[in-house]
Amino acid sequence: MSSKWENIQKRSFLESEARTRALGLVDPGTFTELAGPRHRISSPHLPLLGEAVEFDDGIVTGVGLIGKKPVFVASQEGRFIGGAVGEVHGAKLANIVRMARKAYDEMLASNPDLPEEKRPAVIISFDTGGVRLHEANAGLLAHAEVMDQFQDCKGKVPIIALIGSRVGCFGGMGFVAAASDVIIMSQFGRLGLTGPEVIEEEMGKDEFDASDRALVYRTTGGRHKYIMGDCNVLVADSIAAFRGALQEVLGKLYAEIAEMSCIGSLEKIQYQLKLVDLCVETAPKDAKDVWKSAGNENPDDLTDMPLDEFLTTVKRLTDRY
Amino acid sequence: MSKQLHEITFELKAQNPTDFVEDFAHFGVVGSGDMEVIIEQKNLDGAVKVKIVTPVTGYDEVWRRVLERFVNDTGVANASLEINDNNATPVVVSLRLRQALSEVD
Amino acid sequence: MEDLIGQGRAAIDMIIDPDSFREGEVGELSITDEDFGASAVIGTAELDGEICTIIASDAMTANPKFPVVYAGIIGLEEGYKMAQAVYHSIKADKDKPLAEKRSIVLIVDTPGNGAGKHEEIFGMNKSTGAYQMALADARKVGHPIVAIVVGRAISGGFLCHGLQADHVLSLGPKFNTMIHVMPITSISRITKLDIEWLQELAENNPVFAAGPDYFYKLGGVEELIDSIELIRERVVAHVAEVRTKKLAGRDDELGPWGRGALSVERGSRVARSKVIQTMDDEFAAVAERYLS
Repeated sequence: MSSKWENIQKRSFLESEARTRALGLVDPGTFTELAGPRHRISSPHLPLLGEAVEFDDGIVTGVGLIGKKPVFVASQEGRFIGGAVGEVHGAKLANIVRMARKAYDEMLASNPDLPEEKRPAVIISFDTGGVRLHEANAGLLAHAEVMDQFQDCKGKVPIIALIGSRVGCFGGMGFVAAASDVIIMSQFGRLGLTGPEVIEEEMGKDEFDASDRALVYRTTGGRHKYIMGDCNVLVADSIAAFRGALQEVLGKLYAEIAEMSCIGSLEKIQYQLKLVDLCVETAPKDAKDVWKSAGNENPDDLTDMPLDEFLTTVKRLTDRY
Repeated sequence: MSKQLHEITFELKAQNPTDFVEDFAHFGVVGSGDMEVIIEQKNLDGAVKVKIVTPVTGYDEVWRRVLERFVNDTGVANASLEINDNNATPVVVSLRLRQALSEVD
Repeated sequence: MEDLIGQGRAAIDMIIDPDSFREGEVGELSITDEDFGASAVIGTAELDGEICTIIASDAMTANPKFPVVYAGIIGLEEGYKMAQAVYHSIKADKDKPLAEKRSIVLIVDTPGNGAGKHEEIFGMNKSTGAYQMALADARKVGHPIVAIVVGRAISGGFLCHGLQADHVLSLGPKFNTMIHVMPITSISRITKLDIEWLQELAENNPVFAAGPDYFYKLGGVEELIDSIELIRERVVAHVAEVRTKKLAGRDDELGPWGRGALSVERGSRVARSKVIQTMDDEFAAVAERYLS
């Protein structure tokens, strides 16, 4: 086992760049990058606006192994224009999902009894605010392609979302994460649709102060999403912890994994509508009010307690509703 | 008023050259104030070919000085260096170039 | 009539067969609570004599329970309500042959998703995400889905309510239709580039500028319609065309992936194709190592 890979395992997921995450999530020495920097496919649009480009357009795509399982990996780089999705970035993401599904179709066609441990999976490490403004139209269309490819994976290829990087997962990519089968987060991960500044603009500073970091984390952060049931697994902030959770999830049968998703069927959205009713009934002023509804008597204690204690103490909305 | 990415190219030669033997190395992220570099083996008669793509103009001489020092200090030869920059300072540039070389080892 | 902005209900009547709309009903679904997802209109109608599901936004009716849901915004309830309409369409036609799967017509005039505190606490991304997945599901089991932009199709709103259709149509820009992520004024502010220069740039590169024309060039819209009177006829024609393609197994020419191919025909999104080809070729060379 290479010492470089070993070192990566100990690193903070939050602080790690996209390529490090991709390499560290799969088994040592198994990652092959596809359309990587070597190909120099950077954005053709950014130069026209005088914006810096990157050889991989802010996303690492490739294939690796976890045990015997081929995993198709996408890992976004939040430090490059906020991990935003342009034409190239979006095409890489859509196609890596498509490749996993095509691989599944081919493998199953030649061997219908292929054991589950050898069937492909998709993992996406999000670090993005959604559409890239500079090439927004192409970025938006790419989002639709990703959702389309996700639906093609249904019944075949599990899709696992990992959220624990600086930018979190917002904008149109929030839909993509929601459409995944399983969401693994750290407490530093944030997931949502609308960024805090836009909510403040829409509702006023009295209702939502975007500069209040604790409020922002209570509304979109990993602990909150875990209580809500939107995040399936909450892990510590290391690549090893994310990889461990990933291995555990991918060790399950596909049917079990698919059952963990929040949306994707009439039954699942009927359940979500029960939560919307709860929202209307309780009109929470703060996420903590919902934590209380979930059965947490002292929601204030939940924000700062160590992760292990949090995981053994916390009551989740899914336990009660 | 238009804005375009600025491209700087030049060639350098190390005083005590040692060939760049790896086929390919890549390092860095084009974050704000940062850069990435690809170093590739090329038969250039001992020279080093440099290409920089950056939104910043007016620093061509600074780039040349920083790269000259890097090439002389490391002796890198027969290589092409391609840099995507987003306002990296000379200190960051030197650091990233050295990191890219040490990635290879 | 100069345009149809804010007139989702009028647009429904223009498209469907006269007096055929049964609001709130799709298959087994029957919504009687008027306040439930009030800004979204769903129901069943006849389109050229065939049953079809209609999904639209009602810009004139705000949702009394969610203060950020007004002017055609899709909120938490609206997204799930729209998704319900789609899933019930699938369910109702589950045992029907491909040729008889009901069409789904999306009438698009929305400024976006609900952007509020409750929405984020409970996960707005799940609601309209669910709607997108439902539409993709329906499309893939054979329902022809046609979206027609009659007013605003803004950013995430268009993504949810429009871009998962088999075909997307739009009234042309002279009807004040808006399709964009961000208006060019905002892009100018953020990039610090002159609006004039950006507009000049947009003439040769449609990837960032606002307007249905640019989406047409990118293959994001199949057809621009230049007369309000023609909407019904064109929707009917596209439903038929989509159905024919589905019956012929040409699904790859439909929906978001089909629009990707359309971009090539229209000379845009060239990098997209290059990326896909590069990845496919590169993987083919190493596939054996991974797939056993």
